[in-house]
Amino acid sequence: MTDELNVLAGAYALDALDPDERQLFEVHLRTCAECADEVRGMRNAAAELSHLTEVPAPPQLRGSVLGAIAQSRQLPPLLDDPRSGRVLPLRRGGGSRPFWQGLAAACALIAIAVSGWGYAQHRDAQRAAGVQASAVQSLLQAPDVVATTTAMKQGQGTVIYSKIEHKLVLIGHGMPVLGANQTYQLWMMPKNGKPVSGGLFRPDRAGNVEVPASGDLDGVGQMGVSLEPAGGSAQPTPATVQVLKL
Amino acid sequence: MTAMWFERAAASGKDQDQAAARSLEDLIAAASRGDERAFAELYDQTSARVYGMVLRVIRDAAQAAEVTQDIYLEVWRQSTRFDSGKGAVLPWLLMIAHRRAVDRVRAAQSSMVRDDKYAVLNEERPYDSVSEQVQTSLDAQRVRKVLQDLTPAQREAVSLAYFGGYTHSEVAQLLKIPLGTVKTRIRDGLIRMRDALGVMA
Repeated sequence: MTDELNVLAGAYALDALDPDERQLFEVHLRTCAECADEVRGMRNAAAELSHLTEVPAPPQLRGSVLGAIAQSRQLPPLLDDPRSGRVLPLRRGGGSRPFWQGLAAACALIAIAVSGWGYAQHRDAQRAAGVQASAVQSLLQAPDVVATTTAMKQGQGTVIYSKIEHKLVLIGHGMPVLGANQTYQLWMMPKNGKPVSGGLFRPDRAGNVEVPASGDLDGVGQMGVSLEPAGGSAQPTPATVQVLKL
Repeated sequence: MTAMWFERAAASGKDQDQAAARSLEDLIAAASRGDERAFAELYDQTSARVYGMVLRVIRDAAQAAEVTQDIYLEVWRQSTRFDSGKGAVLPWLLMIAHRRAVDRVRAAQSSMVRDDKYAVLNEERPYDSVSEQVQTSLDAQRVRKVLQDLTPAQREAVSLAYFGGYTHSEVAQLLKIPLGTVKTRIRDGLIRMRDALGVMA
């Protein structure tokens, strides 16, 4: 896994990875100091390339930039965390605690148990970055971790999952933003039998979403995402289902 | 809040006029505490690098200006989180800038096929077109020389990714070579550049 990811350092430093690969690699960077060093050196080299294209900015841009910043509040600084890694600008929590423990502390926990599958989806309206990251991170350490990306009608979805650990994370990009009376619903679609709900989710304003869920994935052939009325449905509305292959 | 900072910034600005240009590290630290004047100086020192690169990737001057404004707004907002222990200001700023620029072209691309693939590959090589320009700063000469020391294959892959804003899968498609080969070329090319430019982490 690590060797496979190492070779992505160059493409990452040039922003040449696809969104799901970028996300995977950023998770990897948190735990791989060697790659982090390599990326930093490469980024410094890439920055030098901009000497070749230097052009004075339009004069009026200065005024509009300074006008814009005068009206914009700066982000609060991140507090020091002795456990945090070296290339971890946005991480708040430690990476090693079990992800459910962080969820219990920080998230609204929505457990949807249907027909004994026990899928439980956890989400946080504010999309707590640290918690989400540790869900992905804990998954990436599973020996059988698999990531698959599927293009949807609009946007794309990546499912990262481990059958051994009974966990998955759906990462969606470019999904249409929904009104208040609609929701997306995640479905586990067994090879034999009816789809089982994996919970409800809504993308952020940029159309991105991360949905951690857990449950037994043996016998689940594919995942589905459907568009449902607010509150979700017992079975997916057929015309809206988009299939994500595992 | 803003007014208070403005007064304070104005007062310190007098002393600055006589002083030499402050380092980007000093400027970002002052900006992170709300010093808009320091931020203006940071803009003055870096905007040609940022705008020029963004323009090269996006190609459209109006959009490049708009994206450049977004970039500096993000830099202002994130300045409170800049950590000098993790690297220098300019690579950090250009990283934010390049990512914004490629995000813009890729967002546009999802709704229409980009028509400049042919141009990028056949009409001009980014580094060649740049070398024809009158502008020949010492820094640019140094970088150009380092690029010339890469293998043509490495140079092409690095240029298409950085200046073309293409993903490595797109670069593979454009060059009709396997993705694994592109990954290696980009990585090896950047390592060579890093070593030649002496910009170790």
